[in-house]
Amino acid sequence: MQIGEDKVGEALVIAPAGRVDSVSSAELERVVVARLDGGERRLVLDLSGVEYISSAGLRVLLMAAKRLKAPPAALVLCGLGPSVRTVLELAGFLPLFTVEAGREQALARVGGPAA
Amino acid sequence: MSRPETRQLNVPGTDQGIAAALDALAESFAVHGLSKAVTWPVEVALDEVLANVVRHGLEGREGGSVEIELTLDTGVEPPFCRVVVADDGPEFDPLSVAEPDTTLGVEDRPVGGLGIALVRRLMDEVAYERRDGRNRLSFGRRLVAVEA
Repeated sequence: MQIGEDKVGEALVIAPAGRVDSVSSAELERVVVARLDGGERRLVLDLSGVEYISSAGLRVLLMAAKRLKAPPAALVLCGLGPSVRTVLELAGFLPLFTVEAGREQALARVGGPAA
Repeated sequence: MSRPETRQLNVPGTDQGIAAALDALAESFAVHGLSKAVTWPVEVALDEVLANVVRHGLEGREGGSVEIELTLDTGVEPPFCRVVVADDGPEFDPLSVAEPDTTLGVEDRPVGGLGIALVRRLMDEVAYERRDGRNRLSFGRRLVAVEA
């Protein structure tokens, strides 16, 4: 798995690519925790490069959602391919998240001054 | 005539072992020209089952190993894939665990049990047996796109 990061205005986009499985999700968790500890409060997770995600990856999403629950903090997911969307749906996770189609819409949704 | 093809793997009960097994499964699919669009559910299921075995069954035991049997039948339409994961950890039937409540909110959402729930929901068949002192979990799926 590779993890791309892009700071756009007040928002941070984190884009994991490859498979988010029980081994690689630890790496994603490290990056997300480090950025949240570093003060990032508007987070976009762009999942367009994700081949598939298993429950270990869902745990990372849930952790980020819990930490960004109180406005003005915000978490928006985008770029869900069929595999990622299916797993989120089967796990009952879709209602827990704000989901947008693409990165532009996600950045608009996550708030903060535009770049 | 193509026939079901079976491949045996033995991996250590570690993160490296899980990664090696997932690589081998992906490679078997790729060799047969099967696309990710139809193979990903089996890959997710293997990750879930191995994560359970490695983190809970073998519990950091030195020298624990996991046997994996991959059977791929491309002679039927759609192709069928079955995986059997066997370990010599304590007797444990993951299918006996209650399904987690997937309707709770962010704060109350349990994190345990979700993996096996996904395996059940993604696979066409899942079965457990204890045989010769080993746990054997078998799961299979017709390789077609998931209908949501």
